[in-house]
Amino acid sequence: MATTTATLSIASADLLPSSPLSISASSTLTKADTTIGLHMMESGSGELTVAASNNGVVVKEATTAGIGTAAKVYLCNKATDPTYYIQVKLHDAILGRLYAGDWMFMPWVQGDTDAEISVEAEGGTCPYEWAIFKEGETMVART
Amino acid sequence: MPTLTPTLTLTSTDATIDQLAFSVTDSLSVTAPIQSMSKTIAVSNVGGDNIVVPATGGTVTYFYCRHTGTTDGSTTTTVPVDVEETGDAAFARLAAGEWMFIPFCHHAGNVGIQFQVTTATNVMMEYAFWTKA
Repeated sequence: MATTTATLSIASADLLPSSPLSISASSTLTKADTTIGLHMMESGSGELTVAASNNGVVVKEATTAGIGTAAKVYLCNKATDPTYYIQVKLHDAILGRLYAGDWMFMPWVQGDTDAEISVEAEGGTCPYEWAIFKEGETMVART
Repeated sequence: MPTLTPTLTLTSTDATIDQLAFSVTDSLSVTAPIQSMSKTIAVSNVGGDNIVVPATGGTVTYFYCRHTGTTDGSTTTTVPVDVEETGDAAFARLAAGEWMFIPFCHHAGNVGIQFQVTTATNVMMEYAFWTKA
């Protein structure tokens, strides 16, 4: 199975000048409760236009088959205007706010089928990109 | 204002024939409240016992955390830990060794972040946060 590695570094020279900050964390992306690597990746990009509240774009639906499985989500706001931001939602809950250039990476917990991830632009049109690393899916039979 | 530079790198040489080599970075101006790199032992499967980010007052909080894979810094564990807003809704589940980084800003405004171990056991977690300037 695939070995995909996610590495984070956080640095700051001026947070505490006498002791520069340097954080590094790395993990291999695995299926839930195993050491088997995730081998499916979905990704995309687009432009989010400002829409009425709750009319954002669903990045990934939660599914019955996905409950309890592992998935890692990356999202990035590629806007350049620092006042534009993307609201990241888990169903009805606004979880975070990505201002221009900001990104996030987290293991997404699909507790139920109402755990979809969606995004909404605020302030102005926001180009964005996303990727989800996830477990395999059972192929659908022909009908 | 101090500046944080977070960088994400994703790599794989065998996920597909198209090798993954991806990196994105950012520059964040931050201010107080700040929690320097810290460790805590999440002690139970009651999230309210493990609040690590107090109510944010609606500000953007850059939050980092990592499951150390241990109960106390030395004894290994693979029990996952849910990351929840303080209203008890989980939004991420960290397995041993996994980390996350998000700009947390909950719609309810005055909400923080807590850890909830998925079974009643101890897990040592590493975390830090910074507030958007």
